[in-house]
Amino acid sequence: MLGIETSCDDSCAAVLAGDGSILSNVISSQSIHDKYGGVVPEIAARHHLELLTPTIAAALRQAELTLEQIERVAVTQGPGLIGALLVGVGQAKAIAAARSLPLVGVDHLQGHIAANFISPEPFEPPFICLIASGGHTLLARVEDHSSYSTLGETLDDAAGEAFDKGARMLGLPFPGGPALEALAAGGDAEAFDFPTARNVRGFDFSFAGVKTALLYTIRDLGEGEAERRRADLAASYQRAIVEALVDRLSRALEADGGDHVAIGGGVAANGPLRAAVEALGITSHIPARELCTDNAAMIASAARFLPDCSQQAALTLDAYPSGAQR
Amino acid sequence: MPVSGVLLAFDTATAATVVGLSIDGDVVCELADRPAAAGRPRHAERLLALCEQALGEAGIGWGELGRIGVGIGPGTFTGLRIGVATAQGLAQANAAQLIAVPTLQALALPARGAQPALQIAAVSDARRGEAYIAAWAPDGHQVVADQACPPPQLAAVLAAEEAATFAVGEGALIFRKELESGAITVPDDGSLLHQLVGSSLCQVADASEPVKAAALVPRYVRQPDAELSRQVRADSK
Ligand SMILES: [Zn+2]
Repeated sequence: MLGIETSCDDSCAAVLAGDGSILSNVISSQSIHDKYGGVVPEIAARHHLELLTPTIAAALRQAELTLEQIERVAVTQGPGLIGALLVGVGQAKAIAAARSLPLVGVDHLQGHIAANFISPEPFEPPFICLIASGGHTLLARVEDHSSYSTLGETLDDAAGEAFDKGARMLGLPFPGGPALEALAAGGDAEAFDFPTARNVRGFDFSFAGVKTALLYTIRDLGEGEAERRRADLAASYQRAIVEALVDRLSRALEADGGDHVAIGGGVAANGPLRAAVEALGITSHIPARELCTDNAAMIASAARFLPDCSQQAALTLDAYPSGAQR
Repeated sequence: MPVSGVLLAFDTATAATVVGLSIDGDVVCELADRPAAAGRPRHAERLLALCEQALGEAGIGWGELGRIGVGIGPGTFTGLRIGVATAQGLAQANAAQLIAVPTLQALALPARGAQPALQIAAVSDARRGEAYIAAWAPDGHQVVADQACPPPQLAAVLAAEEAATFAVGEGALIFRKELESGAITVPDDGSLLHQLVGSSLCQVADASEPVKAAALVPRYVRQPDAELSRQVRADSK
């Protein structure tokens, strides 16, 4: 199975064996976006057009296979940046058509969940899954390998976006997550009490409040004092985001009665979040870091449990920007 | 040098999805999906289906494709992405060669045959109230490079030194008034010379050398908005 993923700023291709183990998983990152302070959709799409073909070639080479030996093609159909998605969908359709291979269109979030199904240590449903990244914040109940039901989503910013915006306010470079975590390591997480939106009902998330609170706190402290206490600000801000995530996760586990949980998405690489999930004392699963961030192995993994497109659909498949088609 | 083998050429830079197929230099099939005026382009839904239809009508399998010609614009960014990504995928699947086909050059081709003594301008709709233009002298060399042009400047940019100018394309219809005020001739609205056709794509591709996959970059002509605003910020510092 060949997997292709281009929903944001990474051009990804992977080859998975029939048993769900990884033969190759190539990620070509576009460092270009740093100078804009965020991912620029048009620039991401242009780079995918230059990077995807060599990325697919590299994935085949690392798997020591040729396209003749590929049996199915899987591609992220959405949600994501539409121009970026179109490059992956266009190439996947063409490869499938020209080689008469079955094509599978995969929902990006289903892909993040399916990162947990990858061998050699597949995590079996049912479980509660938290996906947090720069593009999405999703709390889902995963009943089986091919579907999930949404318990909660973010009402405003994604968790990773909150990290990036907070990092920018503290003068850190994009992407902000790792930089903020590093700065926070030397700070006092109890120094400031930022809101965690506990009053948002149900299992939904909101990160606009904590972002605004950080902004006002920096302003109230004044430039010099805010600069002196950057580490404390970063640590407290990070604590608020992690607490908000783990709070909803705990609520969902309680309501569900289950005791298996998985986390994914770029934010799952955050050390304090991983520690907090492990501290819940239940059976938890966190895929390797390169499987938490966007990758094509997770897309191929999801496709293992999904039906092929019809012949007609394989020729006419279109990308979708939002989650509307689910 | 005579060309040999099967060539599939297509273009998605304009609202239309245009496909042509040639064998040993002879065009054997041309197909197009042309949305009605102001209609939504259907590149993603129609391109591969039309390619498969063309191959089917000619009794040719995907594996027999030797070369793939793709329209590189200028045109809508979305259309260009779909076309180039499709060409890259097809080429990769069959180890076929890739050929870049400048969209305006293919658009100008039938007019060249109709008006051999005139300068030919190809004009397409660039949206945002602008046109994409390019022009060729009677001897065939390009005298106006592919560019996005505001309507009031069209006539001045296209002003030929020796021959009169004959302008074709959907953009020539939209900006007929601006062009004609500059003494540029635009054929009737119903003229087929305004249409980009599959046979022109094949002819331009058959006359061009293949390129490496990495060199197959669309002619965006315009920079992304984010890059423009970044430069403005940098300049004002
Ligand atoms: Zn993602």
